[in-house]
Amino acid sequence: MNLAPWQVELDAARDLWADRVALCSNLAELRSVQVDALGKNGAVTALVRRIGEVANADKRAYGQASAALKLVCETAIADKQTALELAEVAAELADDTFDVTLPPAAVLAQKPRAPGQSGGQSGGQSGGQSGGQQLGHLHPLCRVQTDVEAVFTSMGFAVLDYPEVESEFNNFESLNIPGWHPARDMQDTFWLDNGLLLRTHTSSGQVRAMHTFAPPFRAIFAGKVFRYEATDASHEHTFHQLEGLLIDRVVSVGHLLDSMRTLLSAILRRDVQVRLRPGYFPFVEPGFELDLQCQLCAGAGCSACKQSGWLELLPCGLVHPQVLRAGGLDPAQWQGWAFGLGLSRLAMMRYGIGDVRHLLSGDARFLAQF
Amino acid sequence: MWVSWRWLSQWVDTQGVDPQAFAQRFTCTVAEIDSVVRWGFGLDAVVVADVIAVQPHPNADKLRLATVDLGDRQLTVVCGAPDLRVGMRVPFVPVGITLPSGIVVKDGHVRGVPSPGMLASEADLGLSDHHDGLLSLDGVTAAAGTSLPQAFELQDVLYEVDNKSITHRPDLWGQYGMAREVAAMLGVPLRPLDTEVVLGHGAPLQVQVQAPAACFRYVCARISEIAVAPSPVALRLRLRRLGVRPINNVVDATNLVMLETGNPLHAFDARHLDGRLIAVRYAQAGETMVTLDGQARTLTPDDVVITDGHQPVALAGIMGGQNSEIAADTRELVLEAAAFDAATIRKTAMRLGMRSESSARFEKALDPHLPTTAARRFVQVLQAVCPTAVVTSDLTSTGPHCVDPPAGHTLATTTGYLRTRLGLTPAEMSDSWMVQCLRRLAFAVECSADGALTVGVPTFRATKDVRIAEDIVEELGRHYGYGRIASAAPLIASRPPFTSPSRLAERVVRQALVLQEGLTEDVLYAFDHEGQRTRLGLHEHGAPRLGVRNEISTEHCRLRRNLAPNLVATAEQNLQHGDGKEAPREGFAVQIFELGQVVVPAPSRAAASANELAHLDPGVPPLALDPQRQLERDGWFALMDADMVAAVQATVVADRPLPWQPLRLGVVCAERLGGGAEGSKRVVPDRSVSQRVFAQAVSALNSAVRALGKAALHIVPADDPSSKGGQPQEAGLVQTSSWTPDWHTSWRHPRRSARLVAADGATVGVVSLVHPDVRNRLQVAAELAIAELDLQAIMALPDRPLVGLAPAKLAANALDVTGQLRPGVRQDQALNAVRVAVQAANLPVETVDYLYEAALPGDKVVPPGNQTGLPAAATRAVTFRLLCRAGDRSLIAADLAKIQQVAFEALAPFGPPPAAPAGPA
Repeated sequence: MNLAPWQVELDAARDLWADRVALCSNLAELRSVQVDALGKNGAVTALVRRIGEVANADKRAYGQASAALKLVCETAIADKQTALELAEVAAELADDTFDVTLPPAAVLAQKPRAPGQSGGQSGGQSGGQSGGQQLGHLHPLCRVQTDVEAVFTSMGFAVLDYPEVESEFNNFESLNIPGWHPARDMQDTFWLDNGLLLRTHTSSGQVRAMHTFAPPFRAIFAGKVFRYEATDASHEHTFHQLEGLLIDRVVSVGHLLDSMRTLLSAILRRDVQVRLRPGYFPFVEPGFELDLQCQLCAGAGCSACKQSGWLELLPCGLVHPQVLRAGGLDPAQWQGWAFGLGLSRLAMMRYGIGDVRHLLSGDARFLAQF
Repeated sequence: MWVSWRWLSQWVDTQGVDPQAFAQRFTCTVAEIDSVVRWGFGLDAVVVADVIAVQPHPNADKLRLATVDLGDRQLTVVCGAPDLRVGMRVPFVPVGITLPSGIVVKDGHVRGVPSPGMLASEADLGLSDHHDGLLSLDGVTAAAGTSLPQAFELQDVLYEVDNKSITHRPDLWGQYGMAREVAAMLGVPLRPLDTEVVLGHGAPLQVQVQAPAACFRYVCARISEIAVAPSPVALRLRLRRLGVRPINNVVDATNLVMLETGNPLHAFDARHLDGRLIAVRYAQAGETMVTLDGQARTLTPDDVVITDGHQPVALAGIMGGQNSEIAADTRELVLEAAAFDAATIRKTAMRLGMRSESSARFEKALDPHLPTTAARRFVQVLQAVCPTAVVTSDLTSTGPHCVDPPAGHTLATTTGYLRTRLGLTPAEMSDSWMVQCLRRLAFAVECSADGALTVGVPTFRATKDVRIAEDIVEELGRHYGYGRIASAAPLIASRPPFTSPSRLAERVVRQALVLQEGLTEDVLYAFDHEGQRTRLGLHEHGAPRLGVRNEISTEHCRLRRNLAPNLVATAEQNLQHGDGKEAPREGFAVQIFELGQVVVPAPSRAAASANELAHLDPGVPPLALDPQRQLERDGWFALMDADMVAAVQATVVADRPLPWQPLRLGVVCAERLGGGAEGSKRVVPDRSVSQRVFAQAVSALNSAVRALGKAALHIVPADDPSSKGGQPQEAGLVQTSSWTPDWHTSWRHPRRSARLVAADGATVGVVSLVHPDVRNRLQVAAELAIAELDLQAIMALPDRPLVGLAPAKLAANALDVTGQLRPGVRQDQALNAVRVAVQAANLPVETVDYLYEAALPGDKVVPPGNQTGLPAAATRAVTFRLLCRAGDRSLIAADLAKIQQVAFEALAPFGPPPAAPAGPA
């Protein structure tokens, strides 16, 4: 039985393209074969389109056969592509021309394009810094933290560092917040698989510090804290705090006021007015909210301070005897003050950052400003 | 919590006090006031009107025409209220008035009918947001035409107190408690709460408190001859403006007394109480009841219910049952006033998700004296709004504190101590002032001439609030005014402060990387991002990460074990978006680092006993106190001190091991590649790019190490035969390093990786190119180098010794030696061979350094048939520089020739095999 001429032609095309795909040794070749066969002006595409020239009686058979040809080509190309990709990665993994021991200075001193060698690439090379021609960027949170720590260091405060994964005891119990205490409602907590938690405040370091240092001492400790809370422009489940703790024989509200005014003036680089008002925190007694006199209106009242003349800045107070006890100190012998400063908030205030989410976004467009 | 100025003024003389200045003072003395609202002002032109006729509107179905009598005239206006009826008294707003709600009343036509004024709802008058129907003035006795403020109680100033600032003050959850503070603050007397009532002498109700640990006191009474009706407008509006919906006179009376005293009350319809016995007991597991809101509730043995002897009729302290609700035809009621245990109520309310006005108050640990007061006030209020009501039983009081609730405890301190804690002198705060201040706050105070002070704490402050002398410091301080306390520098010895080594290291490293290496610092989440990890194929094989039980999103459900995954995702984002200057293109570099803690779950964690974990379940208090036993032993107020006991006892678990949280430096250096064929993201990087980003990462780590004052680290290739596969147990890896468990990560190119090894053999860092499989998944064509350094391990290394030798007198001769290295040979192997050889020959060579290699930049020698983009496996020509110097003489040409010869010989074995033909096959 003789085959129709178009049938011979389709069979030949199938063999041809199968061979050409099989002969491809890299992805670029395969891509060009794909264009030649299946592109808009590809040979196989043209065969499929030729159905218009086929006699009516053969149209159905031609249609089926040409579609089958197209499918065979597509499948072969896809299979080949997978194989080549695997081979490419395998070749890369096997390649031994890379030398991890090259001294970085020597590599970076080389200009990216040696003269006379075009290498087939275009464009300048902007990023290959060498020898510090280009300065990087400090994160705004770290800028603020470094500044604040410098102020405290200059005033004789120890600078400490404590873990983010904490025990329930250090985060709650030692701070006079037992399990059933309603204060735990305020502190929505991330609990971990092993029964530990992510600290909800840097106050978790208070008892650690008391156990580490012989009184009297004064210390600050900053870091990430975590709250189980939905994220929006002014709320983050992860933010930065700085805790301050001072232990001495006699510590009064007057001492607290003095320290806060002095420290905040140094941190904010201006003479500040502060006021204390009652605030409830289980780990201090008495406890305060410290308000900062509004800088914009100097206390007269404006829209920034909701007409009150004051901005709520930080909670503070005299250390609760129960916390001293948990820290192994005798409340009859030792007293203290403590405060918690929101570093994220301070950074936002200082740099006019309107959305807390920028801070941990890692976005170079944001960070390149610092 | 809202506070009404008018209500306060019933008990406190507020003449001459400016309500706005009052808010500031209250905020500084008592609790934060969030907002001040003037309520019921601007209604002088609104008058009482009697509806004398109602006719249909000719042109509208839903509107009607109301003819009202205004005393001196009658008018017909259009009204859309569905409850309009003849005989009703309503507020009438004449034309030309602008109401506080913003409504302007104009003389106009409504659907073709003139309407010279309007009848108003509460919302129209700005009194509440209730707008279903007119404000009914039925019961107001003023003549028609009387101005509204003269007809009933209007014009109030409302203060919104921040609830968070009074969670520790059960007494401030009622207006009377607020009044007590205000009286003390203003220094004026507080009028007593009027509780004079006539009680009945009928058979007392039988009450059994079967849960004495959860119900300290249960007070109840039977009240008959009830006529349920709407409350008078003044009462209804009082409830409304404090946020409670008026229902009927009975329920309104319970709510009014709750707002006033702070003690929630409940009224049962006596008809539906089956039997003569009221029992307070724990619910049975699975027991159900339908609460007033129509919801069926399934209870547990931790919940407390009130039963009529047969079935629950109320969920104690939270909500009544539907089966005994006060209805329009209720004739007789049973009033409940109780003191429930705070923790029990809070747990049930949280579990069932029903925080009510009632539970919110019980959770604060209310005064056990209060129920009697509240019950008496209820009778008074009820009889005012329902004059027929008579109490037909005596007040029944049952429970552990039924007859004689314990007096509050007494604190002993001295005036001197209290002043010292405030930083005040006796001239500033006298003993007599202190005594007077505390007495105004209802403390029982005795003060001796030498300043010894005994302070009897009133029961409404004793339940959880005032317990220790420091609490008295706060009472005095806030009423004295913290603003009047002079600041004083603490008397602490000056010593050089300790600074955490890790913080110092962070600062030093940060400066080095930003200022010398030009990197940008990132601060990223402590959580991994699961979606990005999956998309990019970033995994630590077989190394567990610590999970979050209550993750906020499925993306952030595990704590990072390495800094790399978040940094890679961040670098990808930066490569796409650029740094805000120009659109990133080929060659655009991203160099970022992060300093942060990672969490390596220590192997010992798995050994934590199930028992220990159960004990630490967040839902379980750390110390299982038996409240009943405690109650018997110490009385109720000792029970309130249980948290103190708990805190001390909980030290038992203070030593639970934390997971390993090493401080790491993570670095990612990346460079954008030109697009592949047809813009494909799949591009094999040119070797020079790969070497460059790798060198940048190594350079960053070196800078960090150098800035920390440590000796340079050795770079040990991952595929070095001496540590094949980087198995932890094999040579070179010391177990103390936090890398040990997770060297095998999916993002590390297996051959283009190296460990940074300290002199003692400890691996303190890793650096690698990204694995091609990960690179091919990036949304941008780029080459990445990833590095991490264990900062704590680095800090533990000895400092680089700095020794000041005399400068050499003679200049050194630099001798450059070039050798051919065949594929697979690293420069350090050749370099070491030269070093060893010259040393062995005792030649005057001081240092041998890699200088450059000829074919390094852009050595894209692509043989035909190989277009993978990889350079050919070409032999490299590497040049080393030898610094030659003899201590005592100048070197001559023969010396240098000898050195050169030895060097060439040392290099020869690394060259191409002599037989092999050069060039591609």
